[in-house]
Amino acid sequence: MRTPIKQILIFTFILPMILYGKPQKKELNFFCGSAVKVPMEEIIQKYQQKTGVKINVIYGGSGTLLSQIELSKKGDVYLAGSPDYIIIGENKKLLIKNTDKIVSYLVPAIIVPKNNPKNINSLQDLGKENVRIGIGNPETVCLGLYSAELLEYNNLLEKVMSNIVVFAKSCEDTAMLVVLNKVDAIIGWDVFETWNPNEVKWIKLTEPEIPRISYIPIAIPIFVKEKKLAQDFINYILSKEGQDVFKRWGYISKADEALKFAPKATIGGEYKLPKKFYDILKNK
Amino acid sequence: MKNKTFNFLLFFFLGFIIVFFLILIIELFGYLNFTTTKNLNFSRIFWSIRLTITTATISSLIATFFAIPIGYLLSRYSFPLKNFISSLLYLPIIISPIALGAMLLIFFNTPIGTFFEKYFFRVVFEVPAIVFAQFVIIIGMCINLTKSVFDYINPEYENISKTLGATSFQTFFYITLPMAKKGIISAFLLTWARAMGEFGATVTLAGATTFKTETLPVAIYLSFASAEISTGITFILITLFIGMTILIILHSLNNKLFYDKNT
Repeated sequence: MRTPIKQILIFTFILPMILYGKPQKKELNFFCGSAVKVPMEEIIQKYQQKTGVKINVIYGGSGTLLSQIELSKKGDVYLAGSPDYIIIGENKKLLIKNTDKIVSYLVPAIIVPKNNPKNINSLQDLGKENVRIGIGNPETVCLGLYSAELLEYNNLLEKVMSNIVVFAKSCEDTAMLVVLNKVDAIIGWDVFETWNPNEVKWIKLTEPEIPRISYIPIAIPIFVKEKKLAQDFINYILSKEGQDVFKRWGYISKADEALKFAPKATIGGEYKLPKKFYDILKNK
Repeated sequence: MKNKTFNFLLFFFLGFIIVFFLILIIELFGYLNFTTTKNLNFSRIFWSIRLTITTATISSLIATFFAIPIGYLLSRYSFPLKNFISSLLYLPIIISPIALGAMLLIFFNTPIGTFFEKYFFRVVFEVPAIVFAQFVIIIGMCINLTKSVFDYINPEYENISKTLGATSFQTFFYITLPMAKKGIISAFLLTWARAMGEFGATVTLAGATTFKTETLPVAIYLSFASAEISTGITFILITLFIGMTILIILHSLNNKLFYDKNT
């Protein structure tokens, strides 16, 4: 039998060259927190079409992405799920100081399955008997940390912790808990409803219950190759065109709009898990 | 001379992989930072170690228990759709662990899954979920390994046993199984090691709950997920140390058993 040398050559060398060999002019490595994956996909597509710059996007948890930046010594733009990770990144000297900008604001909410089987209508209801709650892991997921803060602030930490059956490993995993009907409620962001409008709905928290409004920051890592290009991409995300996409997906782009939900809340800042949190976990 | 070249080549290939693995391990020490790792909570580490070893042992014992009869069946018998069935057993190898974890989560939403959780015990987000996820991940591999063990045992031994009046049960337990023992232990060890490193399906089905379902791989993930690289590396080294120690001890015990039997 004759060896099909020609075909083998085409498949091993020529075909990949045609498929992947086109020299890309410019590209950016974008480490993007998955809390904004949905609108960001659209923005990236638009930006690429407009400028021809290729965006290599890596979605993940804010901390995981920082670890990846540190280990690979790569990264042109970094978007985190909360300002806490900008502080960590700056302390670890991974991000250029004062390059961070606010992309969008996040309002906390209780998210329940569409039919709300346990009739949960308030933060207090999370402490009712026989209710199964899920939150993000407070040590690693910014949403989880925020959930712990919210419960402690409202003196519900002990009561609700006994109903918490699972810590999810990421923001989207937390959302999936309620989409798959695995828990009766989660503490999430209001935008979770726009991600899965047919499966879940959000229960608004009352104004005094919200201690802090979180936001999504974007910054430039120290490993940036073309700072000007990275800045241009950030500017596009912050431009009206970019912000319109966020708006369409239910994200809030202005501080005063976010503050309508909780006029007395602070914006940004840090929260540390109290010792009490670990004591409750150990004794559960 | 030619023999020497042959041996050299064999060792060259081995050396290539070993050197690569050693580099992977040694480079980790460069990222260890004792000023940050000294905050490590040892009781929490031991808790994770105990959970990981216990669940991996239970899941691989159950997997081996299932794999012995199934492996034997696939090795000795032919039946309709055998090819399809054998391929289906590769399901956990083909599908990514996270996808498999999601499939398991959905399974516990079905009538069978909800029936099980209602009348037996809760699985989802509890410790049994870890065992369950590990079991599903390793069972296909375990069956295939035990099948190849039986493939290498000449059926003639069994035929002779049967012609001498032994029943199928007697033949299996007194002839086949003792001959397959070493291979089955090796299969068990490999699946145990795989179960110990299982992450994707576990974290999806059992979650990543501190002091509840935080196995070593989950702890490694959580450390990297909170940008604590040094802590993550400490966990990697601990996992490596425990896994290697247990595997080396069991391998040498297994070799010793086999060696004693043949002398």
